Amino acid sequence: MITQLLKKKELHFERSFAAPIEAVWSAWTEADRLREWWHPDKTTVTDCEVDLRVGGRIFVITLASDEMGKYAGTRWPMDGTFTRIDELRGLSYDAKSWTEGDEDSATITHTNVLTLSSEGERTLVTLHVTITDIGPKAKLAAFGMKWGYKSYLDALGKQLAGPPNH
Amino acid sequence: MQAAVFNALSEPSRLQIVELLRTNPHPVGEIAETLAIRQPQASKHLKVLAESGIVRAEPRARQRIYHLLAEPFGEMARWIDSFEHVWEVRLDSLGDYLQTTHTEEGAS
Repeated sequence: MITQLLKKKELHFERSFAAPIEAVWSAWTEADRLREWWHPDKTTVTDCEVDLRVGGRIFVITLASDEMGKYAGTRWPMDGTFTRIDELRGLSYDAKSWTEGDEDSATITHTNVLTLSSEGERTLVTLHVTITDIGPKAKLAAFGMKWGYKSYLDALGKQLAGPPNH
Repeated sequence: MQAAVFNALSEPSRLQIVELLRTNPHPVGEIAETLAIRQPQASKHLKVLAESGIVRAEPRARQRIYHLLAEPFGEMARWIDSFEHVWEVRLDSLGDYLQTTHTEEGAS
């Protein structure tokens, strides 16, 4: 049914950063650093836990700030488990993301494969995200976008597309 | 999220109707038959779906043929795109962060 429209969804990202591989690895694997860049604008990271070992946890809660209007105070946790740690080369984790209070029905399940490689003084980062499942309410949210989420996402998209103000 | 849409799709029979209409438009009689419910009940569900903009009825001969509106499904693809967009933005943010810390650490 509706899931058939979604099935598995693959997302692929590739970026080159002007930083050594060690710096990129730290940014991904040290909670204090991860929390500095993980959050989109108008959100903050309230909880961040990285237990860097296979079977260890990667857990981040993003909180909508007051600037997000009616979504202010909404918490979006991501709870994952590392399945591969390859020091300075990459890592993988299986995770679920949801809206707090709606875990049963609004959860998105995804696998994430991060690969780092040196390019002289730069580092190439590739990230492959596979969305493997999406909860019933998240599906309904997809429908509901037309009526409710659309304006929120348009606004969010506009905000996110603007120049970064860090 | 508008409550009407949640209500419209949170009822199993109505989700079944959406599934049925994905393949072809159907008159209410066929919908009722497929779902093994009575026609007035099917009409009631279709009314809710129509009011939420999920289906539309078109009169044909003496029947009303219901079909699914494509737009909500397009929106779903866009919703997934937004997940992708968050990642794009997050990687921008990583770039900014690395630039800041790397410059700072390089200078110190």
